[in-house]
Amino acid sequence: MTEAKITARNVDVFYGQKKAINDVSIDIDNGIVTAFIGPSGCGKSTFLRTLNRMNDTIAGARVDGQILLDGEDIYASTMDSVALRARVGMVFQKPNPFPKSIYENIAYGPRIHGLASAKSDMDRIVENALTKAGLWEEVKDRLTDAGTALSGGQQQRLCIARAIAVSPEVILMDEPCSALDPIATARIEELIDELKESFAIVIVTHSMQQAARVSQRTAFFHLGSMVEYGETDQIFTNPRETRTKDYITGRYG
Amino acid sequence: MSKSDWNSPEAVRRLAKRHAAEKRFKLVGLGAIVLSLGFLALLLVIMLKNGVAGLDWDFLSGSDSTDATTAGVWGAAKGSLLTMLVTLLLSFPMGVLAAIYLEEFAPKKKWIEWVEVSINNLAAVPSIIFGLLGLAVFINTFQMPRSSPLVGGLTLALMTMPVIVISGRNAIKAVPPSIREAAYGIGASKVQTTFHHVLPLALPGILTGTIIGMARALGETAPLLMIGMRAFVVTPPDSLTAPSSVLPMQIFLWSDEIDKAFVQNTSAAIIVLLVFLLAMNGIAIYLRNKFEVRW
Repeated sequence: MTEAKITARNVDVFYGQKKAINDVSIDIDNGIVTAFIGPSGCGKSTFLRTLNRMNDTIAGARVDGQILLDGEDIYASTMDSVALRARVGMVFQKPNPFPKSIYENIAYGPRIHGLASAKSDMDRIVENALTKAGLWEEVKDRLTDAGTALSGGQQQRLCIARAIAVSPEVILMDEPCSALDPIATARIEELIDELKESFAIVIVTHSMQQAARVSQRTAFFHLGSMVEYGETDQIFTNPRETRTKDYITGRYG
Repeated sequence: MSKSDWNSPEAVRRLAKRHAAEKRFKLVGLGAIVLSLGFLALLLVIMLKNGVAGLDWDFLSGSDSTDATTAGVWGAAKGSLLTMLVTLLLSFPMGVLAAIYLEEFAPKKKWIEWVEVSINNLAAVPSIIFGLLGLAVFINTFQMPRSSPLVGGLTLALMTMPVIVISGRNAIKAVPPSIREAAYGIGASKVQTTFHHVLPLALPGILTGTIIGMARALGETAPLLMIGMRAFVVTPPDSLTAPSSVLPMQIFLWSDEIDKAFVQNTSAAIIVLLVFLLAMNGIAIYLRNKFEVRW
């Protein structure tokens, strides 16, 4: 078995008094796509956001348990949440490009992390990120246009390129296609499939079909707990738990 | 009634009633606008009629005098400019920084709530009280020169700051959280997120609030009475510490004169003040459009 990229042990998340995540333990591997599925409010997004300490920005959120990235405790006092988020990038539900040019959208991350010393370095990073995100051909002649002027699907690929540009090790995607039409969705799914060669990818999705299409492993969440975790094929064809089976066959959701 | 019949007399009556209500509202709304704009127009007409004859170069470049024909408005206008400069330089950075701190950085603790309530109350404190404060603190305690644009500006800055804080907080609150998440998501620190992304988007709103606060300060007379800016000053102030008057004070002083000839001066000074205000509002609109970013 390969070394897990992210190891979570007995993770609880509280929002104030409310317990949103209950005792989740999971290993997330490199080189594959891991999908979190489950009904609305089951905690899959909340758990995703603990993996890059995005919950730190919410007042009253508290995380118990242990989450290791390459064996390093990400909630240790020695771990800088800013450095962590450069290593564990995130793509959000609604495309949220900065209201700046396409070039600036990509260049911002590398600039604040000091990844490029010269303009030519930066140009290369921008081209590279946009190429990997499959957007370069579409925007190479209008890099100075506003990122917000792109179509929804292009904006989401721009956001993915923005995440790639800081060379993260893991990319977290929080329902990245829920605001997109089927064609744009297919495009993003292809992209996710390509990107898994270079990054560990964790995707939260509402759509079971999407989980089945893009992921190799799937975790099913319900009411704040992880009910089942396994190979995607096994989860969808032969779930061990009745609750998983009921969800997948559409009994609730 | 399972299916509504739009041609029944009852339905027709209902529809007619709805249309009538709409028409009534439009009329009342239009009336409200006409009434308020009417008073403004009336003021402008009267001022122009009385004052426009007095608006010549001598008036615009001269200073106060006991003789109505030689009295000019430049001394007071320059005093206003210097006072506003001090006010802006002090209240803008202080107000914006306070707004940013309260909105983005302040811990959600009890004492922060007290600070918030205090700032909101401060914006509602009558201006004469700020004047007393200026007199007690700046002049009596710090021994700053009486009647000076420096003290006037400091006093008005105290009054303007809460306005900027309140409008600044609203503008910052209106920046969508998704922009903050986007910045955090690629590893921007809190300060970077705030200054690179949130502040530029909030700037148009902050500027609008600032200009509104400044316009109010420009027209303020009461607090400046307390710090001695009603002195009779015949030379335009050449520094921030020189004795000076301001436009609204000049208007007040002239309107108090027994000499009939000062009526024209008063109206002409009001025109100058209004032009000053219009220019400030114009700049506000220009800046807002310039910095407005669509997303």
